[in-house]
Order: sequence, then structure tokens, then C-alpha cells
Amino acid sequence: MDGSKSTPVQSDLHDNPQVQPYLDLHDRISGSLSGENLEWHSLWRHGCLQRFADQGFPTARDENWRYTPLRPVLSKQFTPTRELNAVPKITTKPIDGIGHSLVFVDGVFLKPDSADKIAPGIRVESISDVLNNQPDYLRSYLGKSSEDTAHAFSLLNNALYSDGVLIEIRSDVKSDVPLELLFITQTEAALILPRIVVISRAGSSARIIERHVGNPDCHSLTSGVGEMYIEKGAYLNYHLIESASDSAYQVLGNWAYLDADSKLDFHTTTIGGALVRNDLVIDLKEPGAECNLMGAYCLSGRQHVDNFTTVIHSAPHCNSNEHYKGVLDQRSRAVFHGRVRVAPDAQQSDAQQANNTLLLSADAEIDTKPQLEIYADDVKCSHGATVGNLNEQAMFYLKARGIDRDTARSMLIRAFVDEILDKTEVDPIQQHLKSLVDEKMLTFRKFHRSGVSS
Amino acid sequence: MLTIDNLCASVEDKSILNGLSLEVNAGEVHAVMGPNGSGKSTLANVLAGRDQYEVTSGTVTYKDQNLLELEPEIRAREGLFLAFQYPVEIPGVSNVHMLKAALNAMRTHQGKKELDAVSFLKLIKEKAELVGMKQEFLYRAVNEGFSGGEKKRNEVLQMSLFEPTLSVLDETDSGLDIDALKIVAHGMNSLRSPDRAMLVVTHYQRLLDYIEPDFVHVLAHGKIIHSGGKELAEELEEHGYGWIEEHACTV
Repeated sequence: MDGSKSTPVQSDLHDNPQVQPYLDLHDRISGSLSGENLEWHSLWRHGCLQRFADQGFPTARDENWRYTPLRPVLSKQFTPTRELNAVPKITTKPIDGIGHSLVFVDGVFLKPDSADKIAPGIRVESISDVLNNQPDYLRSYLGKSSEDTAHAFSLLNNALYSDGVLIEIRSDVKSDVPLELLFITQTEAALILPRIVVISRAGSSARIIERHVGNPDCHSLTSGVGEMYIEKGAYLNYHLIESASDSAYQVLGNWAYLDADSKLDFHTTTIGGALVRNDLVIDLKEPGAECNLMGAYCLSGRQHVDNFTTVIHSAPHCNSNEHYKGVLDQRSRAVFHGRVRVAPDAQQSDAQQANNTLLLSADAEIDTKPQLEIYADDVKCSHGATVGNLNEQAMFYLKARGIDRDTARSMLIRAFVDEILDKTEVDPIQQHLKSLVDEKMLTFRKFHRSGVSS
Repeated sequence: MLTIDNLCASVEDKSILNGLSLEVNAGEVHAVMGPNGSGKSTLANVLAGRDQYEVTSGTVTYKDQNLLELEPEIRAREGLFLAFQYPVEIPGVSNVHMLKAALNAMRTHQGKKELDAVSFLKLIKEKAELVGMKQEFLYRAVNEGFSGGEKKRNEVLQMSLFEPTLSVLDETDSGLDIDALKIVAHGMNSLRSPDRAMLVVTHYQRLLDYIEPDFVHVLAHGKIIHSGGKELAEELEEHGYGWIEEHACTV
């Protein structure tokens, strides 16, 4: 459809050099984006573009982005790939023992040749196909993220995403075999706008892996949006594995809505990426909902990861449990922001939160910030944060048993991170994550030939 | 096997050892006794190579090598074992994993083949039985949540697994009840042999009821002020350290 039916969006931020290229991009490509012939979808996109133009990218004055300077991202230009049937140029070691992999190259969904490999009872379809075939099917699902927790990057995705994938687990279908979404980034300066909608129908149970890998020299920007709707009594186990290259920028927002007695286990593991921001917004909408948010991060060099989590207890009798642990070497930096909001009538809420970080270098930094907003009076909420160095007593003990310094360090680091990785119930995923951490530790070693840093 | 000559060492610029000399030969068991603060634990830790202890002068020769130049892990692989006074808890690292890594590091260093998982498990279970350790402790994190006695038992388990040439036992008897003490002593005695030696650092005489030393040394103010046979330990028990310090001054 031609984009001329809508008035051109202009930035209030007069000639904003960061925003303008994306507005221009919209003008160029809007005709080819999915859902442009649907009025509701087109209006929504347009509204998001306008909001994006009005507010611009966050700055250091924005409290929610205070510790994550965006300068490196905003000083570069990124464009979406034009290749619609790209062939993966890099090979990725598959995770043993998992089910089907859906592959996205530079953000473009390579539709599976046949859907029969996907577990029965799970619908996998591209969002553009759904919009074409069932124009209103996604109307109440797409774009929840454009509500009040949206930020410039998710708005940008809403406005410019070209396609995405719907995964719908039908009622009472139980599938133990994980379904993988594999995002391969291979083009320099690619703008990648993944969009995932997961609908876990009542009583269903499923496991999904979202894994990011990439070409080591690729300075790409991924701005992804995931929306998860977990209906009554359903269970969703979601693994976000961020093993992109150390030159990739990744801003991933995931919004989950939990109905009565449903449960979400969300694991985030960050190993790769130059700058990674993970927004996770969980709304425990109805009584008996439960979420467990587990995070592990292992960073070196100048990597930066910001885990910004928001858990909203909207209804009584819900539980949330959040535990993030990480290891930072060299000049890497991590941010953990744990926001918990307990609504006035959400009595008997149980919200636990912890963040522990191991600093291996004097130049590494963690900024950890709990933010509890509790409006109910009968609740159990706690939070705790620790920051420490490798235990020298333990190091000496291991060395006094003949174990060399590097091995001793690895044992202690792994022991620290394993507390989170061991909560992964699926063995092949756990093994994969542990091997990622082991590989990462090799990059730690290079820089540590003399005494334990403190 | 071990020659300590005029050793001086300090911790945080405080001088603790002030010219200690000691000769330990293969097959011998030496007990080093002394009041609190005399430098017993410093001696044990200097031998094992702990960073915080600074050697200011003197020499330590172990198996014809300058021990002080060796990294702690190399000392361990060369057969020097320190049984810790306060064994360290290491959450998240399973005991059996640590023991296997340690044993194989030593075997590799000594030119032996690494043990595979099956042979290792067979061996470690035998050793655990020898020191009366329940198997569940092998699979728990290293020393985490172990009682004082269980920690010491774990030290003796390691000693019998590694079969060290020189064992340095730092107050291994402290915190043990009489049953645990007997088991620990049994484990240590089973390691006595003509080509091994032990340095037993202790405050009390009671461990020496079970491990009979060939020599007893009294340490005070960072040096050995008196040496004798096993009967010296009994005299110390009877008269206290004050007696020997006075005695030493008059010599």
C-alpha cells in the first residue's frame, strides 16, 4: 500500500539526526511492510512511529537508561536487509537434543519447507501470513508493548518490523521438546527487527529457545520485541540465549501477560554482544500466576549488558522470583534494574529478587538497582544484591591441592554461575549454556597471568 | 627431605618466625608444639605457599629444591600436603569433582596416567571408607555445611588419596571428638612409611597419643627453643609451656 494516505511523520525534535534516518527509512519501505493494508495495523504502526519521533532515543537523563549510554549505537547507521531469501553464511553448532529450529537470517524469517517437523499442536506461522489470512486474529495481541512501558527501540520495531513469527500452542497440548528460534546476524550494519508472538493457550505446556548468534565482525543493531500471552493454567519455559558477536548491539524487549494459575520460567543468558539491553516486563494479571526470571551474564572486554526487569503483581496470590548472577572481567559493565510493582489489591503477593555479581577486574562495574513499589499491605517482598571478588581463601585451598590457577579460577567462576544454569531443567540447553560459559572463560584467562585482581 | 634454615617470616609487617631451623628426614614424624601465637600455623602456611605470609630471610629446601620459589600448586604436586586448620568451604564445587581434578593434576605432574571416572570413583570410595566418611559427603560441595569433624575428616581423606611425601598437619586435632580423633589418627598412621614424612603441628598432646612422633619440637616466639623425643610431649602436658620457656632461657 502506498504510504501517502497518512500524513508524513515529523520529529518534534527539530532535525534530530538520530531519529530522522529512521523516519526516512519508514518513508522508503513502509509500502513493503506486512499488514500495511490493514487499517488497525497501519494506524498502530503510524502511532508508534509518531511516538518514536516525538520522544527520540533515550538519553543519560532518562532514569531508565542512566547506566547504559547509547552513543555507540546512535552514532552508526543501520538498514534492514533487502535479501528475502538469505542463505546463512555462518555455521552454528546446533544444540543437541532439541526439536525444530526456525531460522531468521538478518531478521528475515526463513519459512520452514514443511511444518510437519514442528510438534503437533503447535502452530508456527509468519506474522505476515497470519495478517493476510486472518486479518483480525492478532489484533488483540500485537502491540501490547506499545503501551506505557514501550521505549524508543520497541516503538521502532512496531513501526518498522517487516515480518515475524507467531507461535501458538493449542489448548492442553504438552510439548517437552524445545522449539528453537535461531537468529543469525551476518550483514554489516544490518538493522534487525525480530518480532515474536507466543500464545500459550489454556492448559498447554511448551519450551522455546530464542538464540542469537552472529558473524564476529558484524556491527548490527537488533531491536526485538516479543509478546507472550500465557492463558489459564498454561506453562511456558523460555530461554533467551544471547551469544551474538562482541560487536553486535542488541535491544530486546519481552512482554509477558499471565492469566490465572499460569507459569512462566524465563531464562536470560548473555555471553555475546557489545551492548545488550534486555527489557523484560511481566504482568501477573490474575490470581495464582507465577514467574521465575533467571539471568546469567559473563562479560569481558568492553561488553555492556543491562537487564531491566519489571514485574507487575496486578492480582492477589501471585509469586515472582527473580535471580540474576554474573561475572564481569576486564572493563565490562553490567546493569541490573529490578522493578517490582504490587498493585493495591494484589494481596498475598510473594516477590523475591536477588542479584549477585563477581568482579574479576578492578575496571569492571556493576550498577544494581532494586525498585520496589508496593501498594498492598499483606505481601512478602524481598530483594538483595551482592558484589564480590573471587574468594582468595578458596583459590589458595584449590592451589594447595595441586590445581593450577586457571583451573581453580574456572572452577570457582563456573560454581558461581552454575547456580543459575542448573535451574535449566532441559539437559541439552544446560549443557549448551555451560559450554558457552566455558568458552567465554577462555577469553578471561588471556588477561590474567598475574595475581587475582581485586 | 625438608631442611628449614634460619627462616624468618612476617604477616602484614609483623614478624612471626624469627630464625626457625628444622630438619625432617624420610620416615620421620615430627611434632611441632607451642603456645598460641608462637608461629605454628605460620610455619605450616609458609611451607604450603600462602601469599599473605612473607618470607624475609632464611631458606627452605624440599627434595633438593628451593621450596620457596615454587608455586603452591607445584609444591602440592611435588608431594607436599597441607591439612588446613580451617578447611575452606567452596559452594558450588562438588567434593568429588575437586578431588578428581586435584589427583589428576598430581598424577600428570608425576608422569602418571590420569585416572578415568570409573577408576577414580572406585578409589575414592575405598578411601572414604578408610576415614569413615559417608559417601554423600563426596557429592556435596567442598566442605560446605560440614561440621568441624567432617571437615577434618575430609582433609585426612585427601591426604590418604594423594599419598603425599610430606604431610603438614595444621592443628588437625582441634575441634575433634575422641572418636573422630581416632579415625583421623588411623588415617594418618596408615600413611606412615619409610619414604614419607609428617610434620604435625598441634597445641595439645592428645593427638600424639595416637600418632607417635619421633621428635617433638617446642616453638616459642617464632623459633624452636627445645627439641626432644616423644616423652617431651608428655612433660609439656604436665608442666605447660611456661616451664619449657623458663627452662630454655636458662640453658
